[in-house]
Amino acid sequence: MKLSLEYKKIKRTGFYPAFLCGGILAASVPVINMAARSEMYTKQNGSPLSILLNANWEMISMLNILLVVIGTCTLYNTEYANNAIQKMKSLPIRESTIFIEKWVLTIFMCIIVFTIEAFSITFCYMHWFEKENNFGIELFKNLGFSFLLILPCIIISLLISSACKNMWVSLGIGVVCIFTATIINRNNFILSLFPYVMPFKIFDSTDSSKIIQYIAAAIIEFLVLNIVERIFIKNKEEAI
Amino acid sequence: MNFLSLIKIELTKIKRSKILLILFVATIILWIPSIINSDMNFNMQAEGISPENNFFIQGFMGMAWFMFPASMVVCTVLINQTERTNNGILKMLSLPINTKNLCMAKFAVMLILAASQILMMTCIYYTGAAISSVTQSYNFILPPLFVLKEVGLIALSSIPMIAFFWVLSVCIHTPVFSIGIGLVSIVPSVLIINTKIWFAYPISYQFFVITSEYGKIAKNLDTTPIKLVPWIPFAIVITIICLSLSCLCFGKAERR
Repeated sequence: MKLSLEYKKIKRTGFYPAFLCGGILAASVPVINMAARSEMYTKQNGSPLSILLNANWEMISMLNILLVVIGTCTLYNTEYANNAIQKMKSLPIRESTIFIEKWVLTIFMCIIVFTIEAFSITFCYMHWFEKENNFGIELFKNLGFSFLLILPCIIISLLISSACKNMWVSLGIGVVCIFTATIINRNNFILSLFPYVMPFKIFDSTDSSKIIQYIAAAIIEFLVLNIVERIFIKNKEEAI
Repeated sequence: MNFLSLIKIELTKIKRSKILLILFVATIILWIPSIINSDMNFNMQAEGISPENNFFIQGFMGMAWFMFPASMVVCTVLINQTERTNNGILKMLSLPINTKNLCMAKFAVMLILAASQILMMTCIYYTGAAISSVTQSYNFILPPLFVLKEVGLIALSSIPMIAFFWVLSVCIHTPVFSIGIGLVSIVPSVLIINTKIWFAYPISYQFFVITSEYGKIAKNLDTTPIKLVPWIPFAIVITIICLSLSCLCFGKAERR
């Protein structure tokens, strides 16, 4: 019931079409890349999936993160734009519930985006590469891993946009964080735990010993950031 | 009201926006890794570039690729949202001011913000170069004339891009799309500067310029040199189209 309320509120902000367009755009990256330079990639050694991901994931994940940052900014911008958040606060709904509903929606849209991308990668594989066993399972593992790693990024972006009343501040912080992620040394384990760096990781090219650590880190960050939001909301209420 | 005082009013509006802080933090973050890893500048013999040039060009390439265009998108959001929250734009439109002048004044503010970020960038570059010179005991500081020339080139070549972002934010009223198109259009600029039609893509101009400057100072590196002929006319036409479109669209939705 409450989730459907959130759904309706966001309907007119263009949130859903933006995610769909973004997903299609990100999905077109491997197709265009393969269409333009298919020989360069089909000649490479290794499994088709890791070739495809190594060639395109950087750009796809960059687009995914941009989508998440823009999406979360608009989610809270609609609340702050005409002081709607004050009306929401007067309703018998807890602010932390609103936060959770917002991340449920974002995560749901991300699942759709990842599905579109999975289709396009499968298309590239069917069209340009020879058939291999286990492609489906491998693809699921890879995208599942990337999906888990994008969760902290979603939560921290939401947290930032819920904390900043003005959209440019949250967008500015988001942009600065994405930029930091592009210049951080991703081979350093500690630095690559930064929420905006994690989505760039690829399952196939990560050490198998590190994979569990990354997943654990993503879940821990996800939970911790949720607790931070709780504390933050509580303090804000007391301040008022 | 003359144009200068319009700009002054626009600047007063964004005085408390903390935008300069955001721009400043972005430039600081850009230079930190360069300063920490300044010893890596000595390993660039393959490209035939001197360490001090490499230090300078890598930093500015990082800026021209993503940070600077993305900051400009943030600035368009700032200028638009300050007016739209509490319907400030309605009050502005009811004043006896030509809306085209108002639109151009806002664009001028965009240019001022762009210039201030590039200026901050230059200042922090000099600070960073000074720090690296001390830590590496090697002179990283380049002559100001050379630096100013490169920085000026970046600033000038980014005007069409800013005009493009500006028209996006004026004509597209749903913020998620205007920001989305703006930020997403930055991503492929790395690919586009290597194609022959780079001059048709204003977002890649400043990155193209700095990359071809990189080719000039690195002896063993070949990058496409700047050809003025198709580029400058294209850039001017794109800028004029963007600006006139934004002047036409400005305030239309509010006046209906």
